Amino acid sequence: MTVAGAKPWPKMTSREEFRFLADLVLARSSGDDTMVTFHDHHSGTTRFANNQVIQNVDARCGTLAVTVAFAGQHGTATTTDVSAGSIQETLVRAERIARVSPEDPEYLPPPEPRVFAVRQTARPETVGAGPMRRLEYVNEAIGQCRMENLMAAGIISSSVSSVGIAAGNGLFGYEARADARFSLTVQAGDATGWSAAAHRSVDHLKIQERTLAAIIKAKRGRDLSELPPGRYPVILEPAAVAGLWTWLLWSLDAKSYEKGTSPFAHKLGKQIVDERLTLQNSPDHADLLGVGFTHEGMPSESSVWIDHGVLKQLSYDRFTAKTHGVKAIPTVEAPVLSAESPPAGTIQDLIKRTERAILVTNFWYIRPVNPSDLTLTGMTRDGTFLVEKGEIVSAVKNFRFHESPLQAFRRIDAWTVPMEAVTSETSKMLVPAVVLPQFNFSSVTRF
Amino acid sequence: MSTPDWAELAELALKSIAASGAEYGDIRILHSSSQTIIGEDRRIASIRDVEDRGFGVRALYHGAWGFAASSILSPEDVPRVADLAVEIAKGSASLAIEKVRLAEEPIHRDRFVTRARIDPFTIPLEKKADLLLSTMETLHRQGGIARSGASLWARRDRKLFASTEGSRLEFDLLASQGDCTATALHHGRFASRCFNTPHLRVGYELIEEADMLREAPRVAAEAIEKVNAPPVDPGSYDLVLDPEHLSLTIHESCGHPSELDRALGYEANYAGTSFLTPEKRGTFRYGSPHVNLVADNREPETLAATGYDDDGVACQKWDIIRDGIFVGYCTNREVGPKIGETRSRGSNRADSWGSVPIVRIANVGLEPGSAKLDQLVADVKRGVYIEGHGSYSIDQRRYNFQFGGDAFWLIENGKRTHMLRDVIYHGITPEFWSSCDGVADLSSRRRYGFITCGKGQPGQSGWMTHAASPARFRNVQVIRGEGRT
Repeated sequence: MTVAGAKPWPKMTSREEFRFLADLVLARSSGDDTMVTFHDHHSGTTRFANNQVIQNVDARCGTLAVTVAFAGQHGTATTTDVSAGSIQETLVRAERIARVSPEDPEYLPPPEPRVFAVRQTARPETVGAGPMRRLEYVNEAIGQCRMENLMAAGIISSSVSSVGIAAGNGLFGYEARADARFSLTVQAGDATGWSAAAHRSVDHLKIQERTLAAIIKAKRGRDLSELPPGRYPVILEPAAVAGLWTWLLWSLDAKSYEKGTSPFAHKLGKQIVDERLTLQNSPDHADLLGVGFTHEGMPSESSVWIDHGVLKQLSYDRFTAKTHGVKAIPTVEAPVLSAESPPAGTIQDLIKRTERAILVTNFWYIRPVNPSDLTLTGMTRDGTFLVEKGEIVSAVKNFRFHESPLQAFRRIDAWTVPMEAVTSETSKMLVPAVVLPQFNFSSVTRF
Repeated sequence: MSTPDWAELAELALKSIAASGAEYGDIRILHSSSQTIIGEDRRIASIRDVEDRGFGVRALYHGAWGFAASSILSPEDVPRVADLAVEIAKGSASLAIEKVRLAEEPIHRDRFVTRARIDPFTIPLEKKADLLLSTMETLHRQGGIARSGASLWARRDRKLFASTEGSRLEFDLLASQGDCTATALHHGRFASRCFNTPHLRVGYELIEEADMLREAPRVAAEAIEKVNAPPVDPGSYDLVLDPEHLSLTIHESCGHPSELDRALGYEANYAGTSFLTPEKRGTFRYGSPHVNLVADNREPETLAATGYDDDGVACQKWDIIRDGIFVGYCTNREVGPKIGETRSRGSNRADSWGSVPIVRIANVGLEPGSAKLDQLVADVKRGVYIEGHGSYSIDQRRYNFQFGGDAFWLIENGKRTHMLRDVIYHGITPEFWSSCDGVADLSSRRRYGFITCGKGQPGQSGWMTHAASPARFRNVQVIRGEGRT
């Protein structure tokens, strides 16, 4: 990333350079097991509000972590100073911690060496993007809003990383990663509209199209009415679906399942949502942010987690997986939620076929209320509308919801194909927009 | 602190900024050392020592900001990164409408050090691990405890701030915290009970004085009682809220809306804006006359009491809510002048060397009243006493909130009776604080803090302490925290 007149950053750490750093540690370690992880991260964000830039930042940070184990005793030390002396000192710290740590009955040596999938994780157009490109995009979003006499607030960011993992048993992985993000809130007086994107390619942010979508929502929000709280049919746009499903994904922890402290207790192999819904991990999907390996040195692979509504897979740490004799699959890195035979192509199609429902653009501040049944709460945000007889008839004041996705997605009435979804609190997913027959809005706010 | 080297590096950055024609610039060089020990289900799951060092440079050029940061702290990189900050600022200036004008601040040359009796980094790891293992064993001695957790955390920040205006500030800051949790199972339902020390700028004496081993049997017993407790009947209740619980209520419903950058729209795309807009200052009734919320970044041991903020502004004490009326904001040097204030309140902080400082909530606390806690409870016919943190959520303008808690007791005819489960209350911020009809006195004041307050893009974690005495709120709507309520 360069700016005219400024000297460029030192180039990102290469595979060979990471191998050299890792060998510095591995050759000197006295541990039974030693693992090195490295993250060289260069990111820039241009942030704007009230139609002008308020922050413009660029940061570069290299972090090296060393984990050493003597039998079941282990410890980790990290540093951002990757000079030879500091790396040696970090190894010594990790060894010192490991020597005095109590033995961990769940400790396992590093994963066996393997060849990780090679994925298109660093697109050259994103790697080459920098402050000037971000400013161009900001200018485009602000310009569109100014023309409509509206206020824009948002961010454009791009980042590049070199990520490495190595262990004394020969495990080695290296991956260059890059991504770009855009999010925009358009303010039309008290009304707001929102849109967001994240992609491996900075060229796929679709600034113009997404700015227009946020503008349309903000303008529609000016005509505001208030509805009482209660149960309503809803049309959830992809970001709203992603917000709910993110909490569902975070609750799939296998250890909690085995200990009985999971909302999915005794539900593995049983139907937990509508039988037409399937959730997969698709790290090879070009529109997702899949990676080759996790920070634990495990591969990210295609896998089915919910198959036609039936819970098939939990998020296993290696110890729990070994204890139960199953393959360790750590997380859903690149989620795709799909429903078979989509009856609708677009959100507009869903609206057209709806008699009466609340259309939700996005949810905000979603938090668990009851981990036993995965009841969540949160607010609607940046575009909540009443749909009647196939048309948006007015904006409505934002609702607080009180609902479990396990209840809400028991039955879906209509849905689209999976679409790109990203929110301020979730990673990127592909999910459909859906029509749910009932959704519990427990209170209303003042705007 | 390697200040001689750091001072030289800082001068290199400031020289580059000055030569560029920028009207202002500063550099923060920061070395954070932290140690986190996590116990889970009777084992030490992780011990992690982090050394995080780097620097960030801000430049203000023609009224617009640029910021660049790097973990490569060398005589070659510092001026290069300073130049980059200026170049980025020039780019920002090309889109500037309203130019940034910084509030005046005296030049400060000072050193600020956290006073701690026991340096947590000198305590042997074995001793810390033993404490956590013993605590978890004690939790499990209570039949019905399915899971346990315990952790210790400490962090030291050594920092140098230097500005083109001439301020030179050195910091040696410390913070500590510890906690334990027991989770009980009953007929497929589970519930947790926690014990947390506050996060405070003190040493290991915080952990020794908290005595988690002493607390563990009570925590485990209350986890069992909680999971077996009857669910709350939804309806209208009087609430008596303990200081730990209130710290979160204050944080979300008063702290965030009092951040001026939010009120001015800076956070419109992420953390949200504020219903406390500038024209309301001095006239808007936020709460009852019992409600006095004061920002105090000078109180020793509290998280935001760092001597100076990341603008180099001296920490201060001021009113946010006085006798129920909204009167003041948390500000920095940039946003303060936008509402006619001549000096920043000194609430500009970054969470690392790689982050740009932004307005953060100060140590906003509820001033003590005159009642005793027992008196607050005695005057309740049907109510709930709530301790600790649970579920929490609030809208993007900070009106509609919903809170749970860690433990709940039914109050009947002036007496705390038995525990309840699944208590959730909700309301609208000014209506809720207007229902406050009593605050306990200084004798029951406690301080709790946060180190994970999310704000900004890229996201940052803010640190602040919220002190309070227990307070009573009348006729608050309570619902049951389970599906299909």
